[in-house]
Amino acid sequence: MTRVTRRTPGSSVLRLPSARIAVAILAVIVFLAIFGSTLAPQSPLAIDAGALYRGPSPHHLLGTDYLGRDVLSRLMAGTRLSVLTAFEAVGIGLVIGAPLGVATVFLGRWFDFSANRVADALMTLPSIFFAVAVTAALGNGLVQAMLPVGILLAPVFFRVSRAATLEFSRAQYVEAAELLGGSKLHVIRVHVLRKVLPTIAVTTATAAAGALLAVSFLTFLGIGVQPPTPTWGGVLSSDLDYLNLAPWAPFIPGALIAITVGALNALADAYRDRAGAGELHSPVTDPVIKTHSTLQALEAADDRQTAA
Amino acid sequence: MTGKPPRDEVLGLEDLHVTVHDGAATAVRGVSLSVAAGEIVGLVGESGSGKTLTCRAALGVLPPGCAVGHGTISFERQDVTDLSRRGWERLHGTGMGAVFQDPASYLNPNLTVGSQLAEVLRVKQRLPRREARRRGIDLLAAVGLHRPDWVFHQVPGELSGGMLQRVMIAIAISCEPRLLIADEATTALDVTIQAEIIELLRDLRDQRGLAVLFVSHDLAVIRELCDRVIVFYAGEIVESGPVGEIIERPRHPYTQALLRVASVGDFRRRELQVIPGQPPQVGADITGCRFAGRCPAAIEACRSGPVSLAPLSHAHQARCVRATDPALTAVPVTTAATTAAAEAAELAAR
Amino acid sequence: MAVAELTTAGGALAAPRRRRTRAAASRIAGGLAVLITILLLSSFITYSLGALSNSNPAATILGQDAATPAAVAHLDHVLGLDKPLPVQYGNWLSQAVRGNLGVSYFTQIPVSQSIAQRLPVDLSIAIGAIILAVLIGGTAGTVAAVRRGGWADRGVTLACSAVSTLPAFVVGIILVVAFAVGAHVLPANGYTGPSAGIGPWLAHILLPSLALALPVAADVARQLRTSLVSVLEQNYITGARVRGLPYRRILIRHALRNAAGPALTILGNDFPLMLAGAVAAEAVFSLPGLGQLLLESAQTRDIPVVQGVLLVVSTFVIVINLLVNTALGLLYRSADGVGV
Repeated sequence: MTRVTRRTPGSSVLRLPSARIAVAILAVIVFLAIFGSTLAPQSPLAIDAGALYRGPSPHHLLGTDYLGRDVLSRLMAGTRLSVLTAFEAVGIGLVIGAPLGVATVFLGRWFDFSANRVADALMTLPSIFFAVAVTAALGNGLVQAMLPVGILLAPVFFRVSRAATLEFSRAQYVEAAELLGGSKLHVIRVHVLRKVLPTIAVTTATAAAGALLAVSFLTFLGIGVQPPTPTWGGVLSSDLDYLNLAPWAPFIPGALIAITVGALNALADAYRDRAGAGELHSPVTDPVIKTHSTLQALEAADDRQTAA
Repeated sequence: MTGKPPRDEVLGLEDLHVTVHDGAATAVRGVSLSVAAGEIVGLVGESGSGKTLTCRAALGVLPPGCAVGHGTISFERQDVTDLSRRGWERLHGTGMGAVFQDPASYLNPNLTVGSQLAEVLRVKQRLPRREARRRGIDLLAAVGLHRPDWVFHQVPGELSGGMLQRVMIAIAISCEPRLLIADEATTALDVTIQAEIIELLRDLRDQRGLAVLFVSHDLAVIRELCDRVIVFYAGEIVESGPVGEIIERPRHPYTQALLRVASVGDFRRRELQVIPGQPPQVGADITGCRFAGRCPAAIEACRSGPVSLAPLSHAHQARCVRATDPALTAVPVTTAATTAAAEAAELAAR
Repeated sequence: MAVAELTTAGGALAAPRRRRTRAAASRIAGGLAVLITILLLSSFITYSLGALSNSNPAATILGQDAATPAAVAHLDHVLGLDKPLPVQYGNWLSQAVRGNLGVSYFTQIPVSQSIAQRLPVDLSIAIGAIILAVLIGGTAGTVAAVRRGGWADRGVTLACSAVSTLPAFVVGIILVVAFAVGAHVLPANGYTGPSAGIGPWLAHILLPSLALALPVAADVARQLRTSLVSVLEQNYITGARVRGLPYRRILIRHALRNAAGPALTILGNDFPLMLAGAVAAEAVFSLPGLGQLLLESAQTRDIPVVQGVLLVVSTFVIVINLLVNTALGLLYRSADGVGV
């Protein structure tokens, strides 16, 4: 029994095919983020006036854009900025939100109430508008633009970690541990955190998907980057202006964004499925004759489960 | 059943089989019964004995995965076994009504009980809004609710279990059906409320000539209310007959054991008396009597072949090879030796 | 329909009706109080963001040549920028409540005027998108739940996961390519107001609305399917069947009504997402909306315009939240407040 409860969902998550595919895709993206610009077959900035709007060919595997630049190279080189700034936002949200969410449960009602109201307020701000506004205030850069996206992710982390902590801090074994003399901090660290971390992991994956979407969106709008710099959203937006000449072009960066976001979401789903399995049990409402026969039936069922 | 069914038969089941788990197992096997107008028939048995599935089949609302495998269901002599959804919609409410164990869960939690009662009247009887409300409040008063106009405007969460069961009865009889199926309708209620509901059901029968199929696991309640009683065990009828005869002279060992367990005897001792062993699993392949594994009076003949439901007197039937054995009633139900023997037999049967 | 039911039920007897109205009113008032606090908080964040920026509006306005220290100080005084931040915020807010959001640093056009000019565009596509999301998501979710396990269910589930992976701007692009570039059925860009005729107006907002609606519709469909499946398994559905109510009536009045709550909540939660989608849609379909105004003013660091747009957008989100909460309160009277 103890082994079953101790096993974290992470270890079994990779048994799901969807999770394995998602992890493989994410590994490729991380690889591209690190080595993308080095491994790009051509310079992402090299203009070739003789080959505009070319479809995929052996020389340009994903075709060329309106200046004859190699799309594959631009996307590979653009990976790092997109992934890093997405990480920035998730990191900010995680660092601000999660510790506060765990702590607020233990810091008294007044703190909890006001923290929740602030979280409510932050959640009403649409992050994209906020990001654009921040570039107006703090200067036009993707790092600045993703700052508010991260801050607005914080309430999400705050809420889930608070809910998870609340749920587990009321569990009887935590109470028992406290009664047995464990200090509050120790109880939080050992018992609550172990239970809350999976929830935070799922939220991180979902938040990463959202942040990546936000990055692509901001770069698509032209926020935070100067034109020649390649980004995923930038490639998409420049393709859009020449839709009549090359209607297929926007689908390549679009698919790249969608696949990455989809992989992160799929990973979160798989993780959630694994963590959630076995937690549901329905109460028995059937009327029973109070005889030993029914008791024995339950016991027998129990025994069978234990044996299996 | 023996002979011809009574002329005013309302509900008739003939050799009903109900399969569960998408046909993988049969939970109700060969049930035949009839309920006549103005008659209250009790179904008694342990949970899982097929009483509720039989009711659901008779109501045409079997849960997903369950189906009528064989046999017929007739309502006022019309075969309704394969009735269309539309047909059932017409029959429900105006032909038959139903009350269940947990009334709160059978009412929409977000609508006032009044609007749910008036809805039935408006849809089934085409009453205008105002008239439906007036009739609804009258009905609530008729089932013995005080301040019916206050009750009318409450949502189920604001009423007690006893009040909700009265509301359910009011809804069930609102369109004047000929049959009321009450599935464990008094089980979750306090003893005093239980007595009031029983009184109400009896009044309804007396005043409206309602036929009632009353399901309970409590023989004491059955004895209070019913004219005839049918004992279920493991999906089969094991004994049926007039309630007085069954209580006085039970012929099937299971009925005898039930009587000893139930509150019919000494109230303080009822929890102490138990039926040893457990009923067979649904779908278990048993050749002989399905109770033989737990029966203190089991003999070789019990396991050798199927036992049929045999008439003992004009209306009394029992499914037991020793039903006519005068020694049977004298056999003690629980002794250590027979318990061990029964368990051994059961293991062997598996 | 639901509201009508509730009020007519109390028609003859005034007392329960009044009690219920009072309960609903106090719930709405409570929600309003919380939301106004939230609005104040978020507007303060918005305002201080602009004020804290290291931009120097006076210098920007005066231009490089005229920006002598004395002139800058004078203009700061005129604009009220030399006062402490809370005072500035108070002044700005008291004006904003009266509809005066200040004047653009560059064009000298009142901010409220340029917002009022752009608002109909976003209002049209946002309302269109909500209607489409409810229609598409509601239908798909209901069909999937009723035909659970069938091919329709599988198709809806598949379509939902495909659509929710795609960002709104990609959906928009797909729609443009399919309907405008490929089939030439609908205009690919531009906006004409309803004053120029309902037909052209609808034609111009249909694609942007659809682009916004599809991801939300996917969320709504998925949530509705889940809650409808669980509602259809409830005893009160069996209860309604046994009363002989027609299937369609049970599905709509008893099942869908109760299952709609979580889907409605999702719709409310997705609204900020939808606004972000509106900015994308404006870019994809070249619509002169609030998002474009925000982008332009951000590029020129026109702080009053940025603040004004953010305030309007936040108010929008809060009003939608209030509407959703009110609807939930009116729909559900059970103790837990949710239908399932």
